[in-house]
Amino acid sequence: MKITLVAFMPLCLLLSGCSVAPWERGVLSKPQMALDAHPLQTELRGHAYGSREAATGSSVGAGGGCGCY
Amino acid sequence: MVATKTQKKRKAKKTHVSSALKALNAAAMVLPGMVVPVQAAEDEFSLVFSHYEESERDLSSVYTHAPLVGFIPENSNAEMPSYRPIEVDGLHLKAKVSLFDRLTFTGNYTEDTWSGATPIATAPMGARGNRVVSSNSVITGASPILQSDLSYFDAELNPINKTGPLNASSYDLDPVLVHTMVMASPETRKQGDFNLAYEFDNASINVGGGISVENDYESRFVNWGGQIDFNNKLTTLSFNQSYTNSTTSAVFDHDAFGYIQTYGYRDQIVNTQSDVLGDTNTIYGDREDWSTGLGFTQVLGKNTLFEASVNYTNSSGFMENPYKAVYVFYLNPAEVVPGVFGAAKGAYLEERPDKRNQWAWNAKLVQYIKPLDAAVNLSYRFFHDDWGINAHTIEADWIQPLGLGWTVTPTVRYYSQDKADFYHPYLVSTKQITNNQAVDYGNIPEQDFSSDHRLSGYGALSGGVVISKQFSKGVRLDMGFEYYTHEGSLKLGSGGEGDYADFSSYTANAALTVDLSTMANGSSSQNHSHHMEHGTPAPAGVMSAHMLSNAGDWMMGYKYVYSTQAGDMLHGNDKVADQAILDYDCGGRQCYVAPKDMTMHMHMFNLMYAPTDWLNLMVMPTFVDMSMNMRMLDGAPAVGGTGAPEFAELSHASHEHMTGGFGDTQLAMLFKLYDSDVHHLHLGTGFSAPTGNVKIELRRAHTEDLGLIHYGMQIGSGTWDFLPSLTYTGQSEKWSWGAQARGVVRLESQNDVGYREGDLFQSSVWGSFNLMKWLSVSVRGVYTSKGALHGEYNTEHQPIGPMDSPDSYGGEYYDLGFGLNAMVPTGNLAGNSLSVEWLQPMEDDVNGYQLERDGALSVNWGYAF
Repeated sequence: MKITLVAFMPLCLLLSGCSVAPWERGVLSKPQMALDAHPLQTELRGHAYGSREAATGSSVGAGGGCGCY
Repeated sequence: MVATKTQKKRKAKKTHVSSALKALNAAAMVLPGMVVPVQAAEDEFSLVFSHYEESERDLSSVYTHAPLVGFIPENSNAEMPSYRPIEVDGLHLKAKVSLFDRLTFTGNYTEDTWSGATPIATAPMGARGNRVVSSNSVITGASPILQSDLSYFDAELNPINKTGPLNASSYDLDPVLVHTMVMASPETRKQGDFNLAYEFDNASINVGGGISVENDYESRFVNWGGQIDFNNKLTTLSFNQSYTNSTTSAVFDHDAFGYIQTYGYRDQIVNTQSDVLGDTNTIYGDREDWSTGLGFTQVLGKNTLFEASVNYTNSSGFMENPYKAVYVFYLNPAEVVPGVFGAAKGAYLEERPDKRNQWAWNAKLVQYIKPLDAAVNLSYRFFHDDWGINAHTIEADWIQPLGLGWTVTPTVRYYSQDKADFYHPYLVSTKQITNNQAVDYGNIPEQDFSSDHRLSGYGALSGGVVISKQFSKGVRLDMGFEYYTHEGSLKLGSGGEGDYADFSSYTANAALTVDLSTMANGSSSQNHSHHMEHGTPAPAGVMSAHMLSNAGDWMMGYKYVYSTQAGDMLHGNDKVADQAILDYDCGGRQCYVAPKDMTMHMHMFNLMYAPTDWLNLMVMPTFVDMSMNMRMLDGAPAVGGTGAPEFAELSHASHEHMTGGFGDTQLAMLFKLYDSDVHHLHLGTGFSAPTGNVKIELRRAHTEDLGLIHYGMQIGSGTWDFLPSLTYTGQSEKWSWGAQARGVVRLESQNDVGYREGDLFQSSVWGSFNLMKWLSVSVRGVYTSKGALHGEYNTEHQPIGPMDSPDSYGGEYYDLGFGLNAMVPTGNLAGNSLSVEWLQPMEDDVNGYQLERDGALSVNWGYAF
């Protein structure tokens, strides 16, 4: 874990540091800044890709059926 | 009085708690809690409709190769019935409820129905896949079986065009390949799953599970995970794991079984004699998937967020697609002319390795674009597995808020994959065919083989947009559209599959999300108490029973109706023996089968708005699925006689028939005619738009096209319908009562396929008694009269039973309903009402011959805000 943090330190420094004070986090709390702004759409699209592409992976463990058609 | 006091107290406490929660929530918004994915509303309900549709495949050979008589010239006008491409209608319901302060429950229900044609195998053009079938020199269909004559290859195993010159000095190579297509009858998949999440101050854990069921595939899964925030919540680490256990039980197509050889699966195939006709061959297989993921999220700055994750999945067992085959061409070593070899062919069910290890690495950057108040998401995914597939996915999303609650999100995605080691469009064996199953199977040059184009090398480019509108009162509408194109030439680097496998598709969807907690906290409590005063809800089975009485009010409702028919066949109101049905005219032919059971599930959603206090506007989309089992009539004569159905037209009766998809959509206006403390009267006028499908077909079987499915299993009416209604409700003290008369009048003389449903009249009278302030019981009497079908199918259809006769629809019905109605007056769930009603058939007087009704269950949820 430490290694990961150390690995990201240069990236943090490059982008004005990883120490973002709580009062500087207004932008991060905007809805458009969510890691996934449209989770329902992501799910639907993931299901369509999953039944048409070989690199599914992510749909395992969440059902989705055979997609045998 | 005591009760009221307690209630007030509870309410006061609740208000206190919720304001404290609000303050905490507000603090959490400022603090970096948003890094945690659990950032949406506490209580919310979502409904998603989606539609997926593929383009037609390029099947050039179908147009150039005619049956038996040789070739239709390329400029021939002979019309080939098109293979309707795959179409999927989907429904997704999601409810998220906070059970306690820190415990959240999420439940999902998903249902999709698909039908259409997909490729089952691939062959060189010269082998003539998609052999057309003609009757009286009119092309009527296509067969999945290749023409049985020889194919030719050169010494390098390249396919040769056999229609060109065939001699040593001159022959044309014909490298073009073509898919062999097969139609699938509609099939429905249903999935239910849940998740429980518990939040600590700096961590959360979750556990979930679910089941997905289709006729030929069942999958059960569990998952668990957790995450922990540290470094002042600037960093989040997450972990998740899942286990999936799936079972395949696929019935082989009669036409293809025997032609498509299954020697490699001889221990997995079970032959059963069905009670209707002939035998059925089913392949069974089990599969397990273990998946583990690790994630890392880091705030890189006040405008930047980064996420990385790695996922490993181990799969074992039956991973084949039981409907895909591979053609193997066996060369005859004797040259036809020097350098040219003839080849006989075999078709084999595909065989994939029974182990698969998959790794995926993901990285995602979320960057705020200050001048536009927008966010851009960039993500990359690399996938690698031990089947030889490496895949790259790049995606960019631009999330642009536009003000007034609008957000537009354009998306671009590129995907590219290598082919699997065992992917071959077809195989050539240098051994001669022996017609000994075991020997020929042993002479297949590969151990694992698949022609599924999803395992070929190709690239895919897609672009789409999501348009979001946040309305006041916590209602959000998202509409998404995406166009997708799959092309061999789009593959990164070289070696993509030929363009015969290219196709494109689009997905369109609409999602409605209601944030229950916002409304419970935010909107006026007077509204809710007003609804409360307005009497108990009507029984769940009554349509348009409630009217909003304040201008500006909204109501969202979901009604689920399950109805089932089983048991005896009726004629009028008498039970009849099979012999009587045998003597009946089933759509102009001898009757052979009767329905054994039939079930229907209907999901209706309504959104209602009151622009004034005397007018309500309502829109109601629906989603329907049905299934029917049949049985052979006792004493049915032999098939194939004059006027009798062929064997092929009957055999499908041994399989469950399923249909599903979007139903018709209702648009209605309710007018208040009279309203006092005791009595209320309103008039409804509405239309039903024919958005439901009426052209659902059965797949071709036993070399016969079966055409349209039974009338009663079409999803919509196919016509514009007028829906008048008059509703009276009254209440006094603990009693309430009501009456309604409503009708359905078809506005067109026939739908696209030649018939129209009968008109309907229904009246009901009910009374209910409040056991408690929030709970009442109801009893309802219902009379329904529905006409028979008018007209008949004007296109291919094979009648086999009374459900194929337009005269065997409709009748007069008497039912008694028993209901429970609950209404939440206060608290977080104030404004919610839930009612359940069982409708018990008392008497049926049916037209023609019909299956007895067993009853119907209605569940109605409404939320006024």
